Amino acid sequence: MIHPFQQLQHDRLQHQTRRHFLNNCSVGLGGLWLASQGNSALGAALHKDPAQPFAPSAPHFAPKAKRVIYLHMAGAPSQLELFDHKPELTKYDDKDCPAEFLEGQQFAFIQGVPKMLGSVFPFHKAGQSGQWISDRMPHLETVIDDVCFIKSMWSDQFNHAPAQLLLHTGSQNPGSPSAGAWTTYGLGSENQNLPGFIALTSGGKNPDAGKSVWGSGFLPSVYQGVQCRSEGDPVLFLGNPDGVSRNLRRKSLDALSKLNQRIATEVGDPETLTRIAQYEMAFRMQMHASDAFDVSQEPASVHEAYATQPGKESFSNNCLLARRLAERGVRFIQLFDWGWDSHGTGPNTDLRDGFVKKCKEIDQPIAALLKDLKQRGLLEETLVIWSGEFGRTPMRENRGGKTMKNVGRDHHPAAYTLWMAGGGVKGGVSYGETDALGYNATTDPVSAHDLHATLMTLLGFDHKRFTHPFQGLDQRLTNVTKTSRILHDIIS
Amino acid sequence: MFSLRPRSFLPFLLTLSPLAGSAKIDFNAQIRPLLTKNCTTCHGGVKKAGDVSFLYREDVLGKGKSGRPVVVPGSPQESEMIRRLKTSDPDDRMPPPDHHPEPMAPSDMALFEQWVSEGAEWGDHWAFVKPTKPSLPKISDPAWPTSDLDHFVLARLDQAKLTPSQPASPGAWLRRVTLDLTGLPPTLAEFEAFSTAAKSDLPKAKESVVDRLLASPAYGEHLAAMWLDLARYSDTFGFEKDPHRNIWPFRDWVINAFNQDLPFDQFTIKQLAGDLIESPSAHDLIASSFHRNTQNNTEGGTDDEEWRMAAVMDRVSTTWTAWNGTTFGCVQCHSHPYEPIPHEDYYRFLSFFNNSEDIDQNDDFPKTKVAKDPGQQAASVMLEKDIRKARTTINSSARELAQNIQDWSLLQASESIAQPDTGKVTQQKNGDFLSSGTNPTRAVFKITTPSPSFGAIRLTILPLSDDPANWDEQGAVVSGIEVTLVGADGKRKPVALREVIADHLAGPYDPNDSLKKGSSGFGEFPMMKGPRTAWIVPSSPIVPESGEKLEISIRHGAVCNGNNQNCVLRRFRLESSNDPRLAEFLAKPERSAEWKQLATLKKQYNAIPGMTIPVMQERRPEAQRETRLFIRGNRMTLGQVVAPGVPEIFGGNGKEKNRLDMARWLVGPENPLAARVLANRLWASMFGIGIVETLEDFGSSGALPSHPELLDFLALRLRDHHRWHLKPFLREIALSASYGQDNKATSSLLQTDPTNRLLARGPRQRLSAEMVRDQALVVSDLLTTKSGGPPVYPPQPDGIWRSVYSGQTWKTSTGPDRYRRAVYTYRKRTSGYPAFLTFDAPTGDVCSANRIATNTPLQALVTLNDPAHIEFAQALAKVMAKHHPDLSEQLSHGWKRITLQKPDPETLETLVALYRDASAELQKTPGDSAKLADSPALASLVIVANTILNSDAALNR
Repeated sequence: MIHPFQQLQHDRLQHQTRRHFLNNCSVGLGGLWLASQGNSALGAALHKDPAQPFAPSAPHFAPKAKRVIYLHMAGAPSQLELFDHKPELTKYDDKDCPAEFLEGQQFAFIQGVPKMLGSVFPFHKAGQSGQWISDRMPHLETVIDDVCFIKSMWSDQFNHAPAQLLLHTGSQNPGSPSAGAWTTYGLGSENQNLPGFIALTSGGKNPDAGKSVWGSGFLPSVYQGVQCRSEGDPVLFLGNPDGVSRNLRRKSLDALSKLNQRIATEVGDPETLTRIAQYEMAFRMQMHASDAFDVSQEPASVHEAYATQPGKESFSNNCLLARRLAERGVRFIQLFDWGWDSHGTGPNTDLRDGFVKKCKEIDQPIAALLKDLKQRGLLEETLVIWSGEFGRTPMRENRGGKTMKNVGRDHHPAAYTLWMAGGGVKGGVSYGETDALGYNATTDPVSAHDLHATLMTLLGFDHKRFTHPFQGLDQRLTNVTKTSRILHDIIS
Repeated sequence: MFSLRPRSFLPFLLTLSPLAGSAKIDFNAQIRPLLTKNCTTCHGGVKKAGDVSFLYREDVLGKGKSGRPVVVPGSPQESEMIRRLKTSDPDDRMPPPDHHPEPMAPSDMALFEQWVSEGAEWGDHWAFVKPTKPSLPKISDPAWPTSDLDHFVLARLDQAKLTPSQPASPGAWLRRVTLDLTGLPPTLAEFEAFSTAAKSDLPKAKESVVDRLLASPAYGEHLAAMWLDLARYSDTFGFEKDPHRNIWPFRDWVINAFNQDLPFDQFTIKQLAGDLIESPSAHDLIASSFHRNTQNNTEGGTDDEEWRMAAVMDRVSTTWTAWNGTTFGCVQCHSHPYEPIPHEDYYRFLSFFNNSEDIDQNDDFPKTKVAKDPGQQAASVMLEKDIRKARTTINSSARELAQNIQDWSLLQASESIAQPDTGKVTQQKNGDFLSSGTNPTRAVFKITTPSPSFGAIRLTILPLSDDPANWDEQGAVVSGIEVTLVGADGKRKPVALREVIADHLAGPYDPNDSLKKGSSGFGEFPMMKGPRTAWIVPSSPIVPESGEKLEISIRHGAVCNGNNQNCVLRRFRLESSNDPRLAEFLAKPERSAEWKQLATLKKQYNAIPGMTIPVMQERRPEAQRETRLFIRGNRMTLGQVVAPGVPEIFGGNGKEKNRLDMARWLVGPENPLAARVLANRLWASMFGIGIVETLEDFGSSGALPSHPELLDFLALRLRDHHRWHLKPFLREIALSASYGQDNKATSSLLQTDPTNRLLARGPRQRLSAEMVRDQALVVSDLLTTKSGGPPVYPPQPDGIWRSVYSGQTWKTSTGPDRYRRAVYTYRKRTSGYPAFLTFDAPTGDVCSANRIATNTPLQALVTLNDPAHIEFAQALAKVMAKHHPDLSEQLSHGWKRITLQKPDPETLETLVALYRDASAELQKTPGDSAKLADSPALASLVIVANTILNSDAALNR
């Protein structure tokens, strides 16, 4: 008789040592789906190339989205200046915040009784769907009929690092796998010569929560996101050392392969054969990754559309890279753009100044990305998500209890806007609402866990069955200690 | 979800479990797993559906909601459980058909029936029962063992009809044991010495090698790498800004403790409660930094109490994972789902950690000084202790007098104003003052009252709620207090104040600072956890002139929550007394002598140069925090008060009252786990796989031991025979026949035992992240052997560190520090050293008990292309070139430095061919060649050296 937990633990360890994973890589997920389809291809699935931990495998059911591009505006952009139209708030502009909004509430910087702050920018209806949008996103407006806004997102973390972790891993503390790690763990990747999960940053900084936001937590470490860079090697140590040509590298790998073949015969450790294969994959990755990251191959018209300047780290460059990576079958592409923390403590964080510049930086490339994906037929299978880690207060920030020279808003976990496009999500719709002043998500509030449940559904997983045993629990992205619901209403 | 698919190793797993249908049911092996799989999810620690639980025998013998006995020992017919399993009525059948369409397998039902018939005997989970010393089993070949532990290994092999492998070659054994015990490869000189000695007496030669390795300083540096994973050691705070933390003396303490072979019980007590030992030394205090390796969130506006609690909970989980291999975290929200650990036990254990002074402050308070001159260290520790003691005495002598004063009367304000006027302060009917509106950080409250005479003023700061379960607010601190007599003509006479006496001293602020400029002072900081009282005492009792009013001005200035929220009083009470005793007492010359003495101590202390590091420090007895259960694990919903304690199931007897008691229990005879967990961890470090595969989980969800008796034998050998000394314990493993086997895996062994759990062959492990670097440093003659000191910065690509709001930069070390062992490399939580992360080193965010070795293309890119590794290849090439003028000698030498063996002809031929290819190309491209070395010949050697360092022979041991 087999102790079920023994079996589970053994499986976990086997999977963590890629040794086993490589030998049976698609048995788990793919096998289950295929089995449930009564498909006898299961046997075939067992004979995949053992040197590929990212070999594609099928989820529980037919997915709507094959890959994800997540655009994260680190610092949390103001929903009230972009997408959440609140005419009532404008009426209350410069009036004291009502006591009921303050009682028992914690803020990061606001003290005492702040003033309300109406939207700094005008809103209007746009597209055939007639969705509200401010005048800060004129390019995005042109594709608004492909966009699904969720205006009732909420968080329970009011600081950047924990809120980013919650949004990307389902837990505010470091140590849990990110959505990208779960996705590549479950689905593998369509391109074996590139990392399956890639993170790109702009704005000169890493996200506040550091590299844990694309970490693999308790999943095998091969599933962590690989941070790729705009300057230097796109993947760390991708380039051959100075003085080593590709030809010379080939020669040395041939020699290495011979040495290792001999060791394999002598010692009999299957890991040695895997190592040979991994070195070959590294060699292929050198070429494919360099090619994927070479945006100079794009025609002038594309650069014009994205407003890109090759060789410079920018959000627009990263948008173009996202399309190139999506095209090449990378499973999960995450963009972090830093600099959205509009507190109003100086010009850079002033809603009328720094925020305007940030909007300009992202508006055109995002619209270009959506159009480009659509034109190439990729949008319907690529889920694009845009968000910050929380929202901003309907009150004007009064740091130190004083009126500040610049105009800003404090962190606001109670409500924020996220949008999605493509990947099986309805376009031209809005989901959820906040109250008249935009303070609380009142209609159909959506948590990070609800978002994750929906994301997993779109990718073809039953989020409750897609688990990994750790610390005595069958862990999942949607966090076993929390409840979550799937947003069926937004799935096309 | 990967769980139930048949796999090739399934037959092997079967051999680890007792066979079904054996004479008598073994509860732990046969029934408990079925309960865990089928029953306890709904009838266990989290849910108790129908009032039925299968966690304890007394529950199983009781009656459920239906009134029928769940199990009647000896009588399956009367046992409701058996009826429910067997019934075909869908309303009654268990497990319920809606979630479990298929009934339980008939064979499993039969096991339950047999178990009930045989009396429904219960057994505790194997790891929760204290280990007992097994006798040595019978074996097929008494000549094979070289150590007692080998008997257990061979007995298991006999059972599986397997035979041990031949001994490994001397070179293979030497490389394995040297890397396993020191993390460094053997040198050729060491190999030659060993080979010579082995010819006359192999066992003796092996012994002297092991003794040499255990005595080497490299041993401690190697073992520390494992312990620092568990300690979640890091040179930074973590989270957003991820600032630098000075805590490397703790890392050095760990290294030294291993090198001195400090017994593990002492090692434990010092790390968990070094500060509570009587007269702790500086080393003991540094050891207590173990639990100050928790993350500290300095992001603006973070709730200090929330992150204090996160650190406290992390201490609980880390203690249980590192010492006891038990998942304690799930008990935070509810009783353990499948272990008999009640919800309350989590908070009883948490309470051991809930009374330390640290509270997520940006300055990492509290700290101890590590003196620059070790000669001053003892004095520094003594002064810290004396200063704390003297300050406590000064406050408590006055407080005792203050608490004797009875004639307090409420101050009635004629006017109370807040400045600036965005805020308000108003007196309520009951005399309490409430503040409202916007009171910024530096708000001032002015309370004017028709002047009574007074000898002391009593200030009570109150939480907004009177219910202790709701006490959780940001701090309230009086940063300045002034008392002024204001005449009818407006003339102002300041009242000289002598001291502020507090109900207790806690946290980083001194109450007397309320009389000075600055932002510290009396109050609750950074969080309000209950009412606080201070007595403000004038230089002499005050008798006002007629018409004079008294103005009390309360100034604020402290900030909490990542230095961003104010600590303004929200509710407080002012009273006065005419009793002159307090003022008289404080005016005595003895009193000022005490203050003077304290000032002298502080001056002496401040004169000692050094750096400060965070340590554990317990709050004073009168300032103890109450621990309450968090309902469903939420710290905002508090339940009943709990007393500190160790779970009963692990031998807790109610006598453990503080961290020191808890630490002693951990390594004491009542705890069934710690010795097994440590023995298993050390075993895994040598064999690559634990006897319990899940190093981090010995509970019912963890793996079963492959050799249960061996584990108990080792645990008791370590704890009782070697009295917790690790060196002699590791010596026995290193010299065992089991460890010394050849590691060749034949195809039949790969078939029967792919992961080598039965040890019919020797271990083969991939090098750890640290070893990959350290080996390259050794074979290229670059290693700097200096021990300890501040972390160093070996080359890493530009632009890796990009933390927000942080001016920290990576300043690449030059000179000897560039070539230090991996353990000394700077560890930044949010941005680890890339080469180490790629080779599976943890980030240091949380306790990491089990590194899993992976094999990926990104690793290949590191060892092929990382400029740091190219530097190693260049140095190795120079060593090869210098060794001999002849090319094949040079190439052989490079290979030998890694493998200790001469390359066989085929290998040598491959190396020569590569050299020729490289040379042919590099001679044509002098520009390229020059980037690698001074000459094309040397550059070609660099290519070969880089290839050797990437071979499977180099990357494994």
